Amino acid sequence: MISSAVMKGLFNCRKLRMTGAALAATVLIDAPCASAEDTPIPTLVFQNHRFLPDRITVPAHVKFKLMVRNADDSADEFESFELNREILVPSGQTITVFLGPLEPGEYPFFGDFHQDTAKGVLVAK
Amino acid sequence: MSRTELAGFLGLLVMLGPVAAKADYHLVSPYEIDLGEIEIEHNGSAAVDRRKDFGGANSYTAELGTGLTPWWHSEIELGTDRDSGSDQPTLLREIVWENMIQLTDPGLFLFDYGFYFEYSQSLTDGRYAASNQATFGPVVAKEIGSTIHTANLFFTRTFGPDQTTRELDMSYRWQSRWNVWAPLSPAVEIYGDAGTVSSMPAFSGQQFLAGPVAIGVLKFNELGLGTLGRVKYELGWLFGATPATADGTMRWRLELEIPF
Repeated sequence: MISSAVMKGLFNCRKLRMTGAALAATVLIDAPCASAEDTPIPTLVFQNHRFLPDRITVPAHVKFKLMVRNADDSADEFESFELNREILVPSGQTITVFLGPLEPGEYPFFGDFHQDTAKGVLVAK
Repeated sequence: MSRTELAGFLGLLVMLGPVAAKADYHLVSPYEIDLGEIEIEHNGSAAVDRRKDFGGANSYTAELGTGLTPWWHSEIELGTDRDSGSDQPTLLREIVWENMIQLTDPGLFLFDYGFYFEYSQSLTDGRYAASNQATFGPVVAKEIGSTIHTANLFFTRTFGPDQTTRELDMSYRWQSRWNVWAPLSPAVEIYGDAGTVSSMPAFSGQQFLAGPVAIGVLKFNELGLGTLGRVKYELGWLFGATPATADGTMRWRLELEIPF
């Protein structure tokens, strides 16, 4: 499994050559620069089927990581049409969402399993 | 077993065996895993052509899928087809096991990678007997602003007693989508079948379709149908661009996603 942890060390400006029988042709990937790596990683928490915080600011024009932790006793899904993400967050677990670079603006997100209460906005600037 | 090991194993499995081309008009996305959700899906297509041998083909599927792990989406599909031409019956032809393995976390690299594998077991015999098939290949996607570009490159082999060829067939699919508004976004799609890899016909003899598609998603709570789940749809018209392709093909997709 190419986990997020394994990839962490490859996230800087390096070339990664993926080989394997699955891909008959070798695929060469240019890993992107992680210009936001040195900044604190923003974190969202599912709590009482709401996002804490429900408004989060991130840098525009760079790639960044977003941590999403689920403190509730049931699973939920971090979802955003504008960010093209739909990722399950099991109860008690934390996932990493790789995003950007984003144009300055507001990007709504929600918890798909509690759409009425779990809502938030990511602000890129 | 890791996701790369599983993808490699499935790819090797297909290469070991001994294709008839079969067009499936929907893109495989590396983003849709649907872990924690049940997916009920229908795909359909209907070809239109004044030439008797090209018009009248249609295809309908019923599928049930879910995410088995955070990186593995799997579906079981029943496929019903009608061949082109007059006096052709509509038959339940196959049961298919489809798998999309997400090889990289979305957004981590310049491109997002997946590996697709499906096995199709023929359900017909006698006059309409058909081979079993395995299809596999890479899925690549790229987000650029509010647009998403997805490419599929698939290879198909036939198996079984009704195998008609030992050749490997190559097909490809492309979609560029502009995420304008969740209930309705425009896209352009391309579907091509280049034929057998070892004896590829001239482009005029290949299948090539392109056209616009409308894509949307509606949450159940917006439709007054409860607080969970959603319906996704796709509706498009593909123009045949070669003499070997029907003049026009309508394609549609309807998908219900329900958390469990």
